[in-house]
Amino acid sequence: MTIDANETAMTGGVRFLGARKAYWRLLARGAVLLMVTLGIYRFWLTTDVRRFLWSNTEIAGESLDYNGTPIELLLGFLVAVAILIPVYAGFFLAALDLGTLGEMSGLIGFALVAFIGQYAVYRARRYRLTRTVYRGLRFHLEGSALVYALRALPWWVLTAVTLGLAYPFQLASLERYKMHHTFYGDLGGRFAGAGWRLFLRGLPLWLLIVAPIAVTVGAFLEVVDWQALADAMNASDDEVMKRLEQGNPELAAVAVFGVLMAVASIALTLLLYPAFQAIVLRWWTSGLRFGPIEMLSHLRMRHVYGAYIRFALLALALAVVLAIASLPAFFVVGLIAGGNENSAAAEIAAALVLLGGYVIGALGLSTLYRATVGLALWRLSMESLQLSGLSVLDRVEARGQPSSALGEGLVDALHVGGY
Amino acid sequence: MTDGVQAVISGPGVFFDGRTSARHDVRVTLNATGLQVEDAAGRVLADWLYDELDELSAPAHVLRLGHRHNGDLARLEIFDEPFAHAIDLRAEYVDRTGAIHRRQRGSIIGWTVLATLALVAVSYWGVPAIAERLGPVVPIAIERRMGEATNMQVRAQLDTKNAGAAFECGNGAGEKIGLAALNKMVKRLEGSAALRLPLRATVIRRDEANALALPGGQIYVFHGLIAKADNPDEVAGVIAHEIGHVAHRDGTKAVLQGAGLSFLFGMLLGDFVGGGAVVLAAKTVLQSSYSREAESAADRYAAELMKKAQGNARALATMLGKIGGATEPGMKILLDHPETKTRIAAINRIAADAPTVPFLSAAEWAALKRICAG
Repeated sequence: MTIDANETAMTGGVRFLGARKAYWRLLARGAVLLMVTLGIYRFWLTTDVRRFLWSNTEIAGESLDYNGTPIELLLGFLVAVAILIPVYAGFFLAALDLGTLGEMSGLIGFALVAFIGQYAVYRARRYRLTRTVYRGLRFHLEGSALVYALRALPWWVLTAVTLGLAYPFQLASLERYKMHHTFYGDLGGRFAGAGWRLFLRGLPLWLLIVAPIAVTVGAFLEVVDWQALADAMNASDDEVMKRLEQGNPELAAVAVFGVLMAVASIALTLLLYPAFQAIVLRWWTSGLRFGPIEMLSHLRMRHVYGAYIRFALLALALAVVLAIASLPAFFVVGLIAGGNENSAAAEIAAALVLLGGYVIGALGLSTLYRATVGLALWRLSMESLQLSGLSVLDRVEARGQPSSALGEGLVDALHVGGY
Repeated sequence: MTDGVQAVISGPGVFFDGRTSARHDVRVTLNATGLQVEDAAGRVLADWLYDELDELSAPAHVLRLGHRHNGDLARLEIFDEPFAHAIDLRAEYVDRTGAIHRRQRGSIIGWTVLATLALVAVSYWGVPAIAERLGPVVPIAIERRMGEATNMQVRAQLDTKNAGAAFECGNGAGEKIGLAALNKMVKRLEGSAALRLPLRATVIRRDEANALALPGGQIYVFHGLIAKADNPDEVAGVIAHEIGHVAHRDGTKAVLQGAGLSFLFGMLLGDFVGGGAVVLAAKTVLQSSYSREAESAADRYAAELMKKAQGNARALATMLGKIGGATEPGMKILLDHPETKTRIAAINRIAADAPTVPFLSAAEWAALKRICAG
């Protein structure tokens, strides 16, 4: 049963020791309890998942240790809700105002929630890092969540405006800020990944997805008769569509073509998403530095695809099982109805069956995803890492204090996600 | 404790002192009350009491110990299974079978299930009760503002601009007398109702047999309703029902209820399934149930008001019978009105066969029928 802890210490490798079966058990029990408690159990499940992933990740012969607690997450969430109530109430009242403020309140609210979201992401990262212990020292994150949010928002706008082309540079810039303020003990981190490298690697994917849309726009510009279109738009009655057709006979054909191209674009997005994820993950982990410690990732794209294929097959199996299980359920509903079409009991039973099916299906899918893709991405990105410069681990000194769980709570209350 | 286990009193371990990341290969000795950690040179690195030991998350083959109630992150790791077992037997909070963990988990599950039930009860009884108390306290000025905001939305939805005719009826040259008839009817009802805010009733160019009340006292009567009515009391009955909504401030209460449910389901419980469908379903079912309550109350109000105004209280029931139809499609738990049969019966129970005074003369009634004629 004893495994030599020094086995990986010399080589600078990372091992993942978690048994897939144990993780499945943890997630399945979590899904059932989420259902019973309408989601309140999530604080305990999140903590269990992190404890499992952290403690089974062995870097240079020593495993990580997550020492956050569910109660911290719960309290952080409650504090976040208490902070957000006045904000929401303010916007509710502002929306009643008929002036410019009322009209703008939706936009202002969106911007504010986006801002608080980025702020929360940074504070959540601080919480997770200060609860991560390695070789008896904790990680910590300095810097300001406010500054981070102020940096992140313009980047998101730029990324949206450039249809994602700025994303690699955004990622690199924000990651530089985060890693520059990340410490393991007194060992400062930094990020060495270059945005343009990710840009070059991701560009082919971007072109493949954007090409069908670009072709459609080109065809539209070619075909449309602008004068006729302007005339048609000026007609303020129900005949807009008719006039549009008369003025631009080829418009219908272009519309059909456009729909087909949009479908192609969406299908390509789904198919290429694992590749994108693999590229980003490999680029990101290869850029992480702590003092003299450098990391290099050998993540293989086909392994990521393997995880997604496993997920797809299991999801299909779940759908089949649910479909078969729904037959006896609806049979029972039919019995309750007993031929009486307006039976309230049967209505409620049918509604419960539908809702139950939906809940089981949706929770089942997210559980399958976490157990296949989620676990695989963690395992693959860890096991494909090669670390160098580890001799510094003999002399890193302790620094940093544990942070509050407020950031995690805000992230949870705003549904902005995160690990 | 058996002698065999008692015999194991020392073993190897790995120690991190929490001050640096240096790894110490150590010898751990089990004493009567605690364990002692010594490095190769014989220096004592730690002296921990058994009941201050904490078991930390670690891979399956490692027993990782920390020091309770102590800020530092010193860690002791035992890789030797029999030795780990010996520590397990001595330390109260170290339990490798997971029994302590399971017991804690059991009580957590019990409490969260109770919390969930409490929240469900709050959403079913608490939210409408709170809205009931808060609704009347909301200042009229705010209610009127809310009404104006809703008014814009309602108009955007209902005003389809067909054939270029005005959305509101009663402003055309031939429509003025119809408008006067409507105002006469509303004045009489309003006089008996004694509301805290002025009403504004408008007939709109819509073919459906319907009417609605907005917060702040605006009532829209669809022209289709007047077309379907056989006498003025039937229209008056429906308007009385809408006045009931205004008097009960149902619009304001609905907004408060919606906000309360959004808070409970959207925020506190969290969208645990994703996609928002469960939150939406729960909100719809609950809001429909609140709304059925409000409709029944408005019916009762309408019957009483018609009695007070010396109108025919049964007229609302006959009108409902005409527009409700015999059976209603769809699911009852999603209907925002109670069943028509039930409503008619309830109204007729209140209605008395007292002598009535007609709302409009025959000529006025004919004019009201032509209020949208242009």
